[in-house]
Amino acid sequence: MLTLLFPSPSCRPRLPLGGHTGGCSVVAPEGRWRPRRVAGREDQLDGSPPGFGGIPLPRLSGCRVPPSAAASSAGSSFVGAREEAYKRRLMEPPEAALVPFPPGLTPELMPRHVAFIMDGNSRWAKERGLPTSAGHEAGYRSLREIVRLSSYWGIKVLTVFAFSSENWLRPKTEVDFLMRLFEGVIRENLEDFKRQGIRLCIIGDATKLPPSLQKLAMEAAEVTRENAVIELLVAVSYSGRSDIVQACQKIAQRVKDGTLEPADITEAVIEEELVTNCIINSPYPDLLIRTSGELRLSNFLLWQSAYSELYFSKSLWPDFGEAEYVDALSSFQQRQRRFGLRT
Amino acid sequence: MVHFGAYLFQLLHYFLISSGMLKKYRVLPLHKLQCLAIVVDSGEAVDTLRIRNLLRWLSSIGVKNVILYDMEGVLKRSESSLRRWLDLTLTFYDSSPLPNQDKMSLEFLSYSDGKEAIAKAASFLCSKYLEDNNLMGETREPVLSESDIAEALRIVGCSGPEPELLLVFSPIRCHLGFPAWRMRYTEIVHMGPLKSMNYGAVIKAIYDLSKKQQNHGMLLNLPPGVSIIILPT
Repeated sequence: MLTLLFPSPSCRPRLPLGGHTGGCSVVAPEGRWRPRRVAGREDQLDGSPPGFGGIPLPRLSGCRVPPSAAASSAGSSFVGAREEAYKRRLMEPPEAALVPFPPGLTPELMPRHVAFIMDGNSRWAKERGLPTSAGHEAGYRSLREIVRLSSYWGIKVLTVFAFSSENWLRPKTEVDFLMRLFEGVIRENLEDFKRQGIRLCIIGDATKLPPSLQKLAMEAAEVTRENAVIELLVAVSYSGRSDIVQACQKIAQRVKDGTLEPADITEAVIEEELVTNCIINSPYPDLLIRTSGELRLSNFLLWQSAYSELYFSKSLWPDFGEAEYVDALSSFQQRQRRFGLRT
Repeated sequence: MVHFGAYLFQLLHYFLISSGMLKKYRVLPLHKLQCLAIVVDSGEAVDTLRIRNLLRWLSSIGVKNVILYDMEGVLKRSESSLRRWLDLTLTFYDSSPLPNQDKMSLEFLSYSDGKEAIAKAASFLCSKYLEDNNLMGETREPVLSESDIAEALRIVGCSGPEPELLLVFSPIRCHLGFPAWRMRYTEIVHMGPLKSMNYGAVIKAIYDLSKKQQNHGMLLNLPPGVSIIILPT
């Protein structure tokens, strides 16, 4: 029996059936265009600047909010004064920013959801004659920077592959270190998450995690539940196949409870039960980046990545910074322009 | 300018590979390649002439098992003609003294073999669960594992090997819904549009696979020839 889902069910929205989103706008079987999911919530408009790990970020009004966000909010249910205030913000000239929007990138073509396979920490440390733990700590710093940049550049969802099901087979000392690192990172940054609008979800098989980390992860998910600047999903003890299995398990439970007939099980029903269903904006990645030069998904987001643009970077994860991120986003945007993939 | 220069260098490299001038690419080690998947953009999959050329290349390299996938099932509709052509045209000779004509095996997949297949498998398992409960006269808690899903996929006719290498022929750099269950550790190489397919690029992709060492998330220094097999739970 696999997987307890983080966060708590109360913040799992019910997604509309039959839709999906992704980086590729491709014709579905039988010639139907697959619609993109509409964001279920408007962006957070108020609150302090987004940030991560104590590194301040510009205020939200200083960010270039992609028009797609405006379009989706126009399609949402809120009206009247709040909508007018939101539109006025979009028209306001940007304030002086700590991190300017990269030249050469177009705000309208930014992906809404980016996934990362953060590979290369151990190799990075080995190349420098450092212990593996140093590589993981450097990887953490890299992640902080990517979250910061993503928040500023209007990316709404980040899903990062921190620890796979197979990683449990690593040396115990390394695994224990990583569990302590995860716990320390969450504790250290929890106040920042709350203050800076970062919604944290830990996805994966929580039953294998130390009890203290399980408890902390649930608490972090709960206290950040209402945040809307950026959603940060951290996949720990995760596998794509296990994700599918746990979805089928939940579906079987619904059949047992009499709320679902086997004949009514469709692709959309499975999608509702995947662990990534906790995402409010764009549940499927538009762009999936893997570092360290490897060219495979390694059991990450197998179902969700069907239409994700794949970008394989040769940089090791601790070396993946702003320049490398801009390269990946630029490549993504070039394809958007050339092939008109966004609807 | 830099990107254009890199592109030209890559083209030159492929030319040298396909012309046989680079020694290391002349004989490809295929021990790591049991099954190769080709993903084609459905708009280009109608070009059966190019598909045949691609299969001819793969046959000449010695690839034995090929999966052909496009999302809309265009290749499936061409299956009978491609198989007829394969029977008439392609033969595969191994290195034994007596020529052994061994045909390349082809598997045709589309979107219905991916997510829809998993939905069918789940539906099958749930139906079986209810039947078993009725037979036994009691209600058990449903418990599913990877093995159950894998077996259900086999029963609904949608199981198969996980390819070691997946070549994507499409302007879009994504796997276009290739069956999720079958690509956990598959190397994915984007080859560009089918109309630009390049023999040297195919050879290089297969050669690079032969040099890969996958540790499947573990940190083990394995001696050559030793591999780890991850069994489903």
